[in-house]
Amino acid sequence: MIKKEFVYKSISENENKMLDDIEMFLDENKISGELKNKFMLCVSEAFTNALVHGNKLDPNKEIIIKYTLSNTTLNADVIDEGHGGIEKVNKRKRPELLSESGRGVGLIKHYSSSFVISENEEGGLQLKIVFEINKERVNCR
Amino acid sequence: MEIKVKNEGQVCEVYLNGRLDLASGTNLKEELKKIFDQDKNMIHLNLNDVEFINSSGLGSLVSIMKEVRLRKGRLTLSNLASYVKEIFEITQLSHIFEIYETQEEALSSYQSVTAN
Repeated sequence: MIKKEFVYKSISENENKMLDDIEMFLDENKISGELKNKFMLCVSEAFTNALVHGNKLDPNKEIIIKYTLSNTTLNADVIDEGHGGIEKVNKRKRPELLSESGRGVGLIKHYSSSFVISENEEGGLQLKIVFEINKERVNCR
Repeated sequence: MEIKVKNEGQVCEVYLNGRLDLASGTNLKEELKKIFDQDKNMIHLNLNDVEFINSSGLGSLVSIMKEVRLRKGRLTLSNLASYVKEIFEITQLSHIFEIYETQEEALSSYQSVTAN
């Protein structure tokens, strides 16, 4: 089991840093092709959600991402310091076709094997994204 | 993300290279605003070198498309990687964007419209 954790301040410039970090983690572990693209997309959506809706771009608040890689799954836990996020996610509606936002959770749902949304004790949102990888790895390499 | 603009003919060609996300999407909208300010409303975006796109990047493209529509112009896209194309399909944005396989096809479609 391989584990890695990253902590980011909630500033928009860190989106790129986060993508560099995740790319490095996946490359180090020889995860490429579609699996890499899909996983990066899902984590990016969760990160943007945490950055904009959870922490509201407050640089004093942090976003933690924990990656876990086993023989069967590739997981990411994306945790913010916001409040009431789970209620907002549950209330979300399918975006209008011409909407400029609101597609992130739908993309995570589509691409991940499963995802779980929960609130931690401080009220921050924790989004757990799970990719089952054995079958994907065979198909994608 | 690197944004190159070729603004010579009837259609303004914009070449994107890198990741299209929240920050670069904002930059792209600012670049396009400069083009709109020159009264150009025919825009072609070549996405050949877009290696990553997320919903924020898609949102910036929707915003650009809405601006083009307001200005009664046209926006075309081409050279989407298969995984980018798939994201357009999943989000159903493929129904509202004019997407071409190649830039040549996209640009010649403007000539056909003008000829008609």
